[in-house]
Amino acid sequence: MATYLLKKLIYSMIVLIGVIVLTFFMRPPGDPARVLLGQRADAESIAALRERLGLDQPIPVQISRYVLNLTRGDMGTSIATNRDVLETLTERFPATALLAVSSMVLATILGVFIGVIAAWKANTWVDSTVMGISLLGISLPAFVVALFLVLIFGVKLQWFPNSGYITGGWEHLVLPMITLAIRPLSIIARVTRSSMLDVLGQDYVRTARAKGLSAPSVFMKHALRNALNPVVTTVSAWFAGLLAGTYFIEFVFNWPGIGLVVFNGIEKLDYPIIQGVVLFSAVIFVVVNTFADLLYGFIDPKVRL
Amino acid sequence: MRHAVADSLWTIAWRRLRKNIGAVIGMVVLGLMVVMAVIAPLITAFEPTTQILEYSVRPAMFRGNVLFKRNPAEPDRPSIVAVTTWSLKGDSVHYDDPAGEPYRLHISQMHGTTPDEWHDEPLFILGTDRFGRDMFSRLVYGMRVSLSVGLISEGIALLIGIMLGALAGYYRGRVDDAIMYVTNVVWSFPTILLVIAFSVILGQGFWQAFVAIGISSWVDIARIVRGQFFSIREQEYVEATRAFGFSSLRVIGRHMLPNAAGPIIVIATAGFATAIIFEASLSFIGLGVQPPTPSWGSMIRDGYGYIAIGTNVGMAVFPSVAMALAVFALNLFGDGLRDALDPKTMQR
Repeated sequence: MATYLLKKLIYSMIVLIGVIVLTFFMRPPGDPARVLLGQRADAESIAALRERLGLDQPIPVQISRYVLNLTRGDMGTSIATNRDVLETLTERFPATALLAVSSMVLATILGVFIGVIAAWKANTWVDSTVMGISLLGISLPAFVVALFLVLIFGVKLQWFPNSGYITGGWEHLVLPMITLAIRPLSIIARVTRSSMLDVLGQDYVRTARAKGLSAPSVFMKHALRNALNPVVTTVSAWFAGLLAGTYFIEFVFNWPGIGLVVFNGIEKLDYPIIQGVVLFSAVIFVVVNTFADLLYGFIDPKVRL
Repeated sequence: MRHAVADSLWTIAWRRLRKNIGAVIGMVVLGLMVVMAVIAPLITAFEPTTQILEYSVRPAMFRGNVLFKRNPAEPDRPSIVAVTTWSLKGDSVHYDDPAGEPYRLHISQMHGTTPDEWHDEPLFILGTDRFGRDMFSRLVYGMRVSLSVGLISEGIALLIGIMLGALAGYYRGRVDDAIMYVTNVVWSFPTILLVIAFSVILGQGFWQAFVAIGISSWVDIARIVRGQFFSIREQEYVEATRAFGFSSLRVIGRHMLPNAAGPIIVIATAGFATAIIFEASLSFIGLGVQPPTPSWGSMIRDGYGYIAIGTNVGMAVFPSVAMALAVFALNLFGDGLRDALDPKTMQR
């Protein structure tokens, strides 16, 4: 068990190093200083900026400096605002986390519930309706879902505000949260359904039925428990993708999280900010997945082999 | 009487696919979209970039009234003049512009020689946008962008993914370790962020968007191909090809890849849909295909401001529906394909 955990951890660390190196190259090609200052900038100010950004050093030196700075928690300085990138990110993270976590909780609970219903009523109209709607949910990008929700619940019915943050009241959370939940909800419902159907075909379920246990009891106690494994993978794998989706939602709903920072950064080619956000999201993904792997090691003895 | 020879996998899959209502609907919708994209110039009254500023932000089913003036610089593209009324008196064309001002033009200034050629009352089925551009035309030409982005980006992703997946699955060992390491690193990034980052590196534009999406989307394909190759490699026929002394390239390309085709096609269909979403997301945030080239994402962005005030919602809703329809159709088709090619549910 200990070797398994250690192996997993070491591999994750090595992957993280690769992630950092790849992130390093996410900057304007050629001479970033020239790109930032424009074609008409004079040689002197370009040279000054190159020196300030450390671009006058050879690439290997730049990379090692980048890694070294990261270990000290220094992700660089935003070109547009001149503020520390890590400081900006930590300041904005609570808003993003609130949105991501609340919609993931909503998506998981509702998704498992809907998936179980669909499996319970497999091959009936309930099942096909649920599957059809969830396929639509997968097909719609978040900003399109946002558009329809804003139009219906924000503008026509005026139930919830269209934009803004919870400082103006918790009702501001409703539309962005639902928007963000639609896609993972659809996927979780589909995974739960097919996993349930798989499990229901297993011998031990038949045995449980043959023992004379009631159908609901078999369904919930024997089948659902075993069907949840793939659901755990889906939820953890989705969490990082969800972060990226959150950024779009923030942009649409004017939600003051990391997404607003990165989209402002794109317009100004503020690459330290873009690198910071990309790296931050990837690190969260690696951490969440490592935890999910470790969790698997505990839940399912087969994995440890 | 039928031969006892078993039908090929593809014949069976096709027969099953045809029975799947969802997949058939998906195919029909996709087919219609492809046809519309190809014959776009024939079914649209105006080019997607043609601006008639007098007709800015008109509702669906708006009927215009325009005269075409000769354009010496570009004889094929007459200038468009919006009018309220017009009449032909002798050698001159009299008309009132939308502000009510009367004007007069000599017929030599008109495009063509007959009133049929220089006058039209075009129907804007989906209305117009801020610049008085035909929404329907932009939608159809945007479909061209979306379909080509799906095709080309997915092509790039398939090329990279199949190559890496095949190498890893065929050679295993060190090669596999190295390729899986790269795959795991790339997999750690949320794909849309990777697409955004590559777009920032490559700059904005049509081809840049295609490449950025393609080089960000190969990971799932590589994983699938690798997994397939792992099991196919154990099959006896692969062993036989090696016994014959075939080169690795021939074994991979001629014998192993065709047998992994099913899952690859299924994931490529899903990737096609995702590529369309990525392109729209890119142009929604101002990266990717640049104006005035129509793209569904930038059209939705343009119309978004109107959603919040609840007027002219069609400007954002029509491209959204078009995109949802395209992606939904692709996913329906992909789901059907997966079921049709799934050997577990395969029955003769």
